[in-house]
Amino acid sequence: MFAKMFKDGLTRRRLLGSGAAIAGSAAAAAILPRTAFAADKVVKIGFLAPLTGPVAAWGKPGLDGCLIWGEWINAAGGINIGGEAHAVEFVAYDNEYDPSKARTGATKLIREDEVKFIMMLGGDTWPGAQPVADRTGMLFSTLLPSDLSPDTTTLIAPCEVHPIYNVTGVEWLADNMPELKTAVMCAQDDALGLPSVATYLAAFEAAGIEMQDDPLLFDPATTDFAPVVTRLISGNPDIVCLDTCYADYVHPICEQLFQQGYGGQIISCTADFYQQIVAKTSEEFMEGFIFQFPDFDDPALNDESINFQMPNEFYAEYASRYGADQWGAVSWEYASIMDLWKAGAEKAGSAEPDAVLAAMKEGGTGLHAFGEADWWGEDLFGIDNALVGNWPIVVIEGGKATIKEFRSIPEWYAKHGELLKKHMSAYGQMWDQRA
Amino acid sequence: MVELLAQTGLNALYAASYTALVAVGLVLIFGVMGVINFAHGELFMLGAYAIVAVYADWNLPYLVAVAVGMIFVGIVGLGMERAFFRPLRDNPLGGLVASIGFLMILQALVSMGFGVRMEHVPPVTQDVIVITERVRLPVFRLAVILAAVVLLASLWAFLKKTRFGWALRASAQDPEAAALQGISINQTARIAMFIGAALAGVAGALTAPLISVNPHMGHSVIVTAFIVIIVGGIGSLEGAVIVAVAYAFVHTFVTTFFDGVIADIVGLLLLLIVLIAKPTGLFGSTDRA
Repeated sequence: MFAKMFKDGLTRRRLLGSGAAIAGSAAAAAILPRTAFAADKVVKIGFLAPLTGPVAAWGKPGLDGCLIWGEWINAAGGINIGGEAHAVEFVAYDNEYDPSKARTGATKLIREDEVKFIMMLGGDTWPGAQPVADRTGMLFSTLLPSDLSPDTTTLIAPCEVHPIYNVTGVEWLADNMPELKTAVMCAQDDALGLPSVATYLAAFEAAGIEMQDDPLLFDPATTDFAPVVTRLISGNPDIVCLDTCYADYVHPICEQLFQQGYGGQIISCTADFYQQIVAKTSEEFMEGFIFQFPDFDDPALNDESINFQMPNEFYAEYASRYGADQWGAVSWEYASIMDLWKAGAEKAGSAEPDAVLAAMKEGGTGLHAFGEADWWGEDLFGIDNALVGNWPIVVIEGGKATIKEFRSIPEWYAKHGELLKKHMSAYGQMWDQRA
Repeated sequence: MVELLAQTGLNALYAASYTALVAVGLVLIFGVMGVINFAHGELFMLGAYAIVAVYADWNLPYLVAVAVGMIFVGIVGLGMERAFFRPLRDNPLGGLVASIGFLMILQALVSMGFGVRMEHVPPVTQDVIVITERVRLPVFRLAVILAAVVLLASLWAFLKKTRFGWALRASAQDPEAAALQGISINQTARIAMFIGAALAGVAGALTAPLISVNPHMGHSVIVTAFIVIIVGGIGSLEGAVIVAVAYAFVHTFVTTFFDGVIADIVGLLLLLIVLIAKPTGLFGSTDRA
């Protein structure tokens, strides 16, 4: 930003960034297995996500994370495909969370850039890209498995099982704070908000927590959240659930909850840039805020079961380049998908979409960022293309996000799956309803 | 219930204040220049980014940042008048298209300069006036309401009591007759554009600590502003203020007692009803309709 450029100084920022990049690359080169690769062997990966606009917070930080991932992988010798080392190169296209631009971007990435795999946020943009996927057989990934259906045979959700993992946060809340019995919820009325509403409703019902009111839906163009918050807390609920609100909404809603004197529990899918919320409210107010996305400097991520290369170093590198307060829900997710794709390509000995997909799904299990997981989803999405396992429950303590526990999504689903299907159906979010 | 109504009323007053500032600026530009300025929401956004730069990044006092924002956006408005609206004065559609193009340029420039992510603006004050346990008015929201009242009252005095104000009103009523009386159309257009843009800028600057500041934030206010000026009567300053207050109350109460999506539908229904019953708007004249 211009102002920050003047304030911080371009030279200093670049110097710090370069220094951190060199240090990170050196660390990666030292730790990751090393092979030699010819410079002309390059495998291109498409990054088709919102880089501008209101949903950019779930695109741009992911690209930033991928660039670090790519530098580290290349520094460590690249991706070994069929016995030959390949450098990885990301080609980004900003779809602005617009389906028509997603379609244009997918076509351009495949035809002109000749990418071998395309990562998307999904949601409203997937219907734009789907005809291209159907026509070309290109392998796509989404962060939103609600995009999946029996027709999306080349679409996988290998990292984030949004919004199903939200059940783990509610389950943990109910186990640890059994005195909280009533909840209210608000959400933006869109493809991200509604399936999450259904999931939270199922999770609250499973936990024996009563909804005081129907979920309060608001227009995504809302700027002033005072009326929303006034309505939410008018019945003195024990819990306010912020569903999967975008960061642009979570911040002003929390500020309003603070200013209107709410003192109860808050639970949310995300709390991107939560340090800014703490600054706008107080450490005391945000104490105990529950969400689902950890900072990767968390020591709990150093456990052997975690399938993400050097999470603490990755976080440090990210923070040094972009600032710790710019770390968000997706900063690590697209990089994590690349870990899975890399493993699949190396196993298949090919970067071709069908070969990589077959290798990734072989045996019906896989290693997802938070440990062993199953390819799952037939029951809910009509296809087993979501990789589902454990997911962390994160709580803000002393102004810092802390992983409290990992909980199993499949275990919750085995007990309460019918509830989830009931609420998904009520909101028209089952795959056959969406189709 | 009384407390809920009271809190909702306070919320509505705040919404009315910044909506009126934006809408009045838009009306003033249209009234004098006959141009629908689609980039008005982006002028609001520029005002908010002035706060990001001057207050959040350079740590200068908030009031200084507001003043900088208001003047800077006013100057941007002057540039728009000279670059687009004056050459296209006889082509209202051309002016409209130019303003659409300019809004995209402003969004792109801000994205390049500041990045696409939501900006953090530290709170100016976290003090809250606690009327009852359930009725609270944050001091900063009260300040925004008071600032809007002062600015709109100052504008009213300027238009009614000063020669420049008379010239602006004369140009708005009949540009040719005003020109025959020796009033410079270029001069009045410059003044209208500066004031109209500055009002949008100051609205953005005042509300920046309370909303998400991002390059696309102008979109949300421009839709509301257009509803307000169409219902109020395009070209009517009084209509813009009265309808801004009425719309803010209706929207806020419907959001609180039903939900935000229904509130938007109600707002658009009101627009439709007024257009059918009185196409010139509630306070509009047939000359500008």
